[in-house]
Amino acid sequence: MQLQVGDAVDGILALALIGRLDTPGVDSIETQLTAHLVPGGARAMIDLSQVTFIGSGGIRMFITIARALARRGGKLVLYGAQPLVAQVFETTSLNTIVPVRADVTAAAAAARS
Amino acid sequence: MHSRRVEIRFPGTHEGFAQGFAQLLSALDAERLQGVSRYNSELVFEEIVDNIVSHGATDGRELQVHVTLEARRDAIILTFEDNGVLFDPRGLPDPQPPKSLEDAKIGGFGLMLVRRAAAGPLEYQRTASGCNLLTVTVQRAD
Repeated sequence: MQLQVGDAVDGILALALIGRLDTPGVDSIETQLTAHLVPGGARAMIDLSQVTFIGSGGIRMFITIARALARRGGKLVLYGAQPLVAQVFETTSLNTIVPVRADVTAAAAAARS
Repeated sequence: MHSRRVEIRFPGTHEGFAQGFAQLLSALDAERLQGVSRYNSELVFEEIVDNIVSHGATDGRELQVHVTLEARRDAIILTFEDNGVLFDPRGLPDPQPPKSLEDAKIGGFGLMLVRRAAAGPLEYQRTASGCNLLTVTVQRAD
């Protein structure tokens, strides 16, 4: 699992995750992702188009980070999920508490709101 | 009837999990499994084995995991046998949909995802030798 950090746009952090959000993937990325986003209370959007798998560990990670951000006035938005990853978001109702959008334009709008 | 069995054995540790998963991927590759069936097979393995490794040795015992993959023409049948503490997942409810981000629970999603990935109910028994034996059937759509 890799984390790519892009250029911020209008103060919104733009990141991408690449690989599998299975147990070892989450273990390898959670601390780094949390450290990157949470302390500053960022408004951030994460591109998931290159995430090929997510399990319950990934869901737990996103809830934990999104909640920590929200408590600091920030916001986490996810976008570009592949269909089977998006299906996991729906099954677990993650998409009802963390904004999940189809593309970067919609994600940026959600991050600003 | 087309049916192939693969036996996968590994210690119930994080390293063992990785070894077992690599063997699962080889077996799924040999079946040329793709798409939803592939995803669901990997998901079931991930969630069940992670549960065993994380919670099966609360009394410090050495865990051993034995997974059987039976590939039929219309289904992949995964059977998980472990010597961990008794764990029957059938009665555990799915988490309720969260009302808010602040109230959202972070546990229980693994079994929920296994149930959604499975074709039919999970089958469980505690064996005479004191092992958990769980069978999950994944429909094959390829």
